[in-house]
Amino acid sequence: MLVNVPGPWSPLLGRLALSEIPYTNPILAPLFIVIVLAGIALIAGVTYYGKWGYLWKEWFTTVDHKKLGIMYIILGLIMLFRGFIDGLMMRTQQALGDGPGDNGMKLMGAIHGYLAPFHFGQIYSAHGLIMILLAATPLLVGLMNIIVPLQIGARDMAYPYLNALGLWITTAAVFLIMISLFVGDFSHNGWFGYAPIFEMAYSPGVGVDYWIWTLELVALGTTLGSINFLATVVKMRAPGMTWGRLPVFTWTAVSANIIALTSFPCLQVALALVGADRYLGTHFFTAGFGGNLMLYTNLFWLWGHPEVYFVILPAFGMLSEVIPAFSEKPIFGYITMVLASFAIAGVSWIVWLHHFFTMGMGPYVSTEFSIATMLVGIPTGVKVFNWAFTLYRGRLTFSAAMLWSIGALFLLLIGGLTGMMLAIPAINYMVHNSVFVVAHFHMMLLCIVYAVFSAIIFWFPKIYGFKLNEVWGKIMFWLFSAGTFLVFFPMFMLGFMGETRRLDWPFNPQWGAWFDVQEIGIFVYVLSVLAFLWMLYVSIRDRHANRVHTADAWGTSRSLEWLTDTPVPFYNFAMVPHINALDEVAWRREHGFMDKKPDHFKAIHMPNNTPIALYIGALTFLVGFGLTWRVWWLTLASLILAVILMIYRSNKGDPGYIIPAEKMEEMDRESKARMLSDDSHQVPHGGGFSGGTVTAYAALDRDASGPLTPPSDSRHL
Amino acid sequence: MSHGHSDPIHHPEVQMATNRNYITGFVVSSLLMLAATILVKDHVLPSFGLLLAIIGCAGIAIIAQVYFLLHIDISEHNIWNTVALVMFIPLFIITIGLTWWMFSQLYMRTMPMMPGMPGMH
Repeated sequence: MLVNVPGPWSPLLGRLALSEIPYTNPILAPLFIVIVLAGIALIAGVTYYGKWGYLWKEWFTTVDHKKLGIMYIILGLIMLFRGFIDGLMMRTQQALGDGPGDNGMKLMGAIHGYLAPFHFGQIYSAHGLIMILLAATPLLVGLMNIIVPLQIGARDMAYPYLNALGLWITTAAVFLIMISLFVGDFSHNGWFGYAPIFEMAYSPGVGVDYWIWTLELVALGTTLGSINFLATVVKMRAPGMTWGRLPVFTWTAVSANIIALTSFPCLQVALALVGADRYLGTHFFTAGFGGNLMLYTNLFWLWGHPEVYFVILPAFGMLSEVIPAFSEKPIFGYITMVLASFAIAGVSWIVWLHHFFTMGMGPYVSTEFSIATMLVGIPTGVKVFNWAFTLYRGRLTFSAAMLWSIGALFLLLIGGLTGMMLAIPAINYMVHNSVFVVAHFHMMLLCIVYAVFSAIIFWFPKIYGFKLNEVWGKIMFWLFSAGTFLVFFPMFMLGFMGETRRLDWPFNPQWGAWFDVQEIGIFVYVLSVLAFLWMLYVSIRDRHANRVHTADAWGTSRSLEWLTDTPVPFYNFAMVPHINALDEVAWRREHGFMDKKPDHFKAIHMPNNTPIALYIGALTFLVGFGLTWRVWWLTLASLILAVILMIYRSNKGDPGYIIPAEKMEEMDRESKARMLSDDSHQVPHGGGFSGGTVTAYAALDRDASGPLTPPSDSRHL
Repeated sequence: MSHGHSDPIHHPEVQMATNRNYITGFVVSSLLMLAATILVKDHVLPSFGLLLAIIGCAGIAIIAQVYFLLHIDISEHNIWNTVALVMFIPLFIITIGLTWWMFSQLYMRTMPMMPGMPGMH
């Protein structure tokens, strides 16, 4: 029943052998040594400072949505860096390998450039998979994790333990793809995989298996997360937080997670069928025995297109929070913003075929999908106009976060217009599989990256209590934008000139100049990475000078997360606030209720930490690793152990713990004292309740706040 | 967060879960699967009839599993499950329907049936 693998196999080690470790590779071997040394240094450092207990107690076993979100973001940033290095290697390969003849060096067996085709194939496959599923997705899930419960006035996610499980399973996927660098190799047939190249007969190595199980794990983690987000928003909203008062970011999180929940199973099924082909010898995606190659492409993009909206929608939500805050106006067209999010989510289900217009299913089918694809432009256009009208006559502050948001709008425009071009089948037939398509979707994904950096800068003070350095944030923005322009403008040109995707050897010497421009661009990107690291260093160094003393870090923020203390205490809100309006914080600022303190406290119920999520995550990694190398005992043992742990935890449950009211009062006092709340009532008045004039930096008039009284039902549970 | 109904044992979905329901669900879906397998294995029907029969089995199996194993009915306390279920139906029709349409058009153009060829339809 099991497929016979080529090459040696032993019951104990499966396909593992010393020859699978690329210790002779002049790139990977030094990298491995550097990583081992860095790892030893890290472990030694943590041991020296005696931080293991702290890490275990505060981070590894935590179920706090903010800490899990921070870990998601760290994971996403690390993988963004890894994917960037892959991009750097690809750019360098094409710059070096362009033109006829060989490189004369035969470096690592490469005739052109410095990478052999097999190695280059792994790099672009890993780049795509990492950037979409292990960089963009964790970054967005992390930000949603932190912000969504705060925006709806919840103490945590609906299922805190499930949240931790999602993080650790995603981390297992990251470990699996990272270990493929040093043990064995990775898939070389693109991030989405081509049938039938990924079948055993054509890809006998372990690369495709790594690819299958990495994708399966990240799909599992994300699906668990999406269930959690939906349950949280449906069930955990603060009193008064009606659907009509949800902040736009939360709405986009809802729409994005609906499509994640409904689409990720398609991916899991498609990959399970690939797994059945490779492990059990079935023929779902081969041409023989009734299989169909195109069925794989169909199933994959059935997930793949909703997935790209899953990553763009939260990014739209972030723009919808940042732009009003720095325009000192409410978002223009709240209702249409929400409807547009759901329209995009709905349309995402009927457009997937535009990823393979050239399959040959004829004009009628193509026309339907072409029109459906163009329909996406309508709700997206509504959003862009809403942002533009929010900016219009606003009191604009060009802070670093705002610059990143505006940059995202420009990229959205370029990406959207080229997307409209690609939606036309006639054009698609011309530029299909060219780097024009690659440049198009990089515009869209970079739009997400811009929104994420904007959001990180915007929400950082809420979580850590100090602002990131504005100057370096702006320097990074301009370097990043210059890099984007220099890399992707030539890529559009090369696409028009007929360069196909994934060329390890761009044969045409006339493309050389464009590759050189791209190479310069990628080094400008390197500078922007350095600027980012320097921004973090400077910000942490000067954290006392940049400390935020108010709940509302920017003075013009609008939604509920800015009401609680800065930095956010682990219980989020000492007393769950009563929501009175859309843009609650703006409403309270308008009415002078920002510094109203609760007159009494109640006991609260919090979840306990648990290491079981971490254990199950580690076990899923072993399952993936065992399946990849066909070490059956390891796979079975880890799987059974994971199931036993799940059953154990389900039976044990978590009663949580109660913090009594007196303790809450004391903690709230301490938290307020840490904010140095002397400044906290220096909040500007008239802060832009819908349609009103906006004065964020007006001269303070302390007496004006005196006679106002809060509504009697404010701050009731 | 109130604690009154936080005990999962009192949730209606859990109350609906009984051993008998689980066993019924398991037996019903196993029988349907077996029936479909036998139908396909022995080719007891003409091909289109076979297709309808398998689809019918799958449909009944889905309903049985949703009811017996997932404990979803259309009562008041399951309102959110019902919402999710209703949302899922158009999605199901769209994805399966468009896929079917696309492949039928594709086969029309790429897979002409030769007489005597063991085909896919």
